[in-house]
Amino acid sequence: MEPLERLLNLVGLLLETRWPLTFEQIREAMPEAYGGENLDSAKRKFERDKDDLRNYDIPLELRDMDAWGSEQGYVIPKDGYYLPEISFTPEEMAALFVAAQTGGQDPAAEQAVRKLLYGAEGGVLAGLAASPLASGSDTPSRTLLAAADAASRQRRVSFGYRTSEGQASERDVDAYAMVCRGGHWYLVGHDRERQDVRAFRLSRLTTEVADLGEGAAPPEGFRAADHVQAGPWTAGEPNERATVAFSPDVAWWATTGLQGARVSPPRDDGWVEASVPLVDEAALVGWLLTFGPDAEAIAPGAFRAEVVRRLQEAARGG
Amino acid sequence: MEAERPRAARASERLGRMLVVVPYLVRHPGTELAEGARLFDIPEEELRADLMLLFMAGLPPYDPGDLIDVEIDEGRVYISMADQFARPLKLSRNEALALYLRGTELLATPGLPEASALKGALDKLAEGLGAETLGEAGRIATAEAGRPAELLNTLRDSARDRARLRIDYYAHSSGEWSTREIDPEEVFSSLGNWYVAAWDVSNDAERLFRADRIRSAERTGEVFSPRGLSGAGRALYTPTDEDVAVRLLLAPGARWVADYYAVRDPVERPGRALELTLPSKRLGWVAGLLLRLGSDAQILDPADLRERVKDLAERTLARYRQT
Repeated sequence: MEPLERLLNLVGLLLETRWPLTFEQIREAMPEAYGGENLDSAKRKFERDKDDLRNYDIPLELRDMDAWGSEQGYVIPKDGYYLPEISFTPEEMAALFVAAQTGGQDPAAEQAVRKLLYGAEGGVLAGLAASPLASGSDTPSRTLLAAADAASRQRRVSFGYRTSEGQASERDVDAYAMVCRGGHWYLVGHDRERQDVRAFRLSRLTTEVADLGEGAAPPEGFRAADHVQAGPWTAGEPNERATVAFSPDVAWWATTGLQGARVSPPRDDGWVEASVPLVDEAALVGWLLTFGPDAEAIAPGAFRAEVVRRLQEAARGG
Repeated sequence: MEAERPRAARASERLGRMLVVVPYLVRHPGTELAEGARLFDIPEEELRADLMLLFMAGLPPYDPGDLIDVEIDEGRVYISMADQFARPLKLSRNEALALYLRGTELLATPGLPEASALKGALDKLAEGLGAETLGEAGRIATAEAGRPAELLNTLRDSARDRARLRIDYYAHSSGEWSTREIDPEEVFSSLGNWYVAAWDVSNDAERLFRADRIRSAERTGEVFSPRGLSGAGRALYTPTDEDVAVRLLLAPGARWVADYYAVRDPVERPGRALELTLPSKRLGWVAGLLLRLGSDAQILDPADLRERVKDLAERTLARYRQT
């Protein structure tokens, strides 16, 4: 008997059985698989098959056969085994395929989407090969999964972390949420030592994520995205706006990237002015400086003066 | 005994995929064998052989009437008497999380045409699997960032159709616009931006283009043969011998440079400073970056870069003197 056939029959038998079956009963029901001469070698074969089933996350359970627990038997509970009914439109199914294939090879995500194919409605899949996409992340998927696991089950975790300013330390955190922003993943949670909510960029973790047990719930009205630093000059409610101008060479590139910008038609000299929310002046000044003579701070005066001050400092040689 | 081991390992792998493919075939009778093989990424002959084995499987007492019935007729598959395999195995927690994370990551990349379908699919997934498998999926979220690439769809369609494009491209490193002909092979997103891996016909070389820096793209009418270029997972910057190795000492406020650029040989220095090498083909954009960093960055090498930054500052100041 082929091993695959034996495994399929074992899964079928334990799924359909009304009560748990002991090894002896399984042996009796599947004589071709586990019968035969030597009890010990049949038992070893069965042990290996059990491992194979568990490797594929088949919920094989050992249960008491009676109220006294004098004997135990095997069963695969149907509600733990079968995928619940979830139907997907062709567009949704195609989007899931695209998602599973982003980030390069991820066998777990690909296996997940194949299981879900079952619920695909109708003649789905014509469009699947179209429009390929791919993406890359800066975090190993093991770290990503461990952090997501902690956040989605409200666990308390510890890990080594190095801040963007280079400070390295051990953190003890109630995991609240995971946020993906600009291709980077962050774990947002309550830092017990600092007694404050912090966002930890996963690519800066210096150790694995260690589970410390049950964590605390986030406060009422908690919004994870608020804690992940947004675009430097678009976060929060701006009190003022700044006017900046760009040369014809960089105007298209510069203005399409400005969130919340109001862009005016080109001036007579071809330069383009834009009004942008001014929240973090230092960040906007820094960004503008990267354009060199292709950008100019126009207003307000204090903002323009700061750009000039930075330029004079640089012209003196720092 | 020993000889059986590799075969047994392979059998478990085949079991894993059978428990997924069989329910699909039961649910969708008449599926073409070739289509099933493609969807589930199984070589067609292996799938046929596995289905023939399924034919032998069933429930006790394994009388002919209790066995699963598999028919492959004119290349189409029909399976009956397989109630125990009529629905697939549930997603494991790892599988569900992995897919949910990939989907969320894709949603966080701006300008994705499939965004609403993907959002709908992830919501159904979270609801269908429930907290038992996926935990509180609502805790895995995205935050707005980055800029949408307006031409994303044009690029993807051209990659699919192997259509050569004439593009207007802004090279940030040199600050110059250029018109080139490219053969787009793969569109991918990395760290929140969209890129296209392409053959640059005009320069006869493989290049990566950032999709949001392409101002216009038109098909030339030519069809190209793909060279198998791919982008996902590769370094966005490929250092070459011609690179200038810019050595910098960064104060804490400028350490973010290490997160955003492909840097080499980082060394921790006192006062949480970081010394590193920023390899670069052109010094123009590096000067702009150094202007931004100001006194937070000290240039260790090459020395003439200091003059270059001063010069850039002077030229920029000139604008402010005119007006």
